[in-house]
Amino acid sequence: MELLKRFKVVIALVLIVLILVAVRSTGVNHFRNDAKKWAETSFRQTNTLNPEQAKRLKGKILVINLDKNTKLSFEIAADIKNIPADSILSRMNIKTILNHAPGQVLLYSSDQGLSARVWMILSQLGCKNLFILTSESDNEVFKYKFRPDTMLN
Amino acid sequence: MNTRVKFSAGLLCLGFILALLPLSGRRSFNVKPQKLLSEMLGADTYLSVDQVAKFVVSEDSSIQIIDLRSPEEFRKVNIPGSINIPYSNLLDNDPASILNNGKSRNIFYSNGDFDSNYTLAIAMGLNMKNTFVMKGGLNEWFNTIMNSSFTGERISARENSLFETRSQAKKMFTAMNSLPDSLKLKFIQSKHSAAKKLDGGCE
Repeated sequence: MELLKRFKVVIALVLIVLILVAVRSTGVNHFRNDAKKWAETSFRQTNTLNPEQAKRLKGKILVINLDKNTKLSFEIAADIKNIPADSILSRMNIKTILNHAPGQVLLYSSDQGLSARVWMILSQLGCKNLFILTSESDNEVFKYKFRPDTMLN
Repeated sequence: MNTRVKFSAGLLCLGFILALLPLSGRRSFNVKPQKLLSEMLGADTYLSVDQVAKFVVSEDSSIQIIDLRSPEEFRKVNIPGSINIPYSNLLDNDPASILNNGKSRNIFYSNGDFDSNYTLAIAMGLNMKNTFVMKGGLNEWFNTIMNSSFTGERISARENSLFETRSQAKKMFTAMNSLPDSLKLKFIQSKHSAAKKLDGGCE
């Protein structure tokens, strides 16, 4: 008891540090992951699925529609939740996504840029098995042919 | 206070500082998720191909256009004045050395919308300001700029100006990308070295 009294300031400080470390290690309200590691699947372009690929997935599937007014443009046998992009980071929604593991979470928006941005944020927060559901899986393919002007050379 | 207490307090302070530092030595996003999301959802992070065409035509030196496609794709066609940083190599080095180089705006493009928007999220997550995406990417550039034509009978002043910019951008794009590979490579290298000189770096 005497020892506790002597070191009460030190013990209090240790507790504060422990609490801070615990909050930092477990909280979802900040990024703490290696950015490169959690962006890796997007470098390899393995984080996008078209509806056909999505149908072949096994296990629990949660589709999150990020649009406020647009519905999914195709049928898919999955749990579909409408969560507008601006509220995706609310505590409840983040918990829904994290608790869905090890099932797959598919993000859908008619604006593919929006899906990509939200995917990156959620991924950096440590959400696993996260994909972008898109009807246009060749979005990053150059669709035109450039004809050089040979008269210029 | 005796020495033992002082020593303990010192260690605690060190622990406190360490607790506030990122958990690993690697690079992680350093803005609050909610702040990043609300900034990214703002429409002013998108630029249309017409806005980018205007910068290209005026050869605006305060703009840095960044092509995120592979070096092979970049060599085949690219927007005049752009530099190539493949998306897959973006985080190999510190992106701040490229993106915070004194240019007032960094504009990303890829073939479509995915890679450019991932890059925007990464750049903004690493607290880099003035980053934008060319909406629709190079596919939209071709659709709007390269394939633009006017078929009506009357043209308003605004339409005329827009069409004129598109036409000039198309000419610049065609001229640049029609160069033989050796000349194109020299042009790209000179662009890179000019950018490095401006940054005060050395090769």
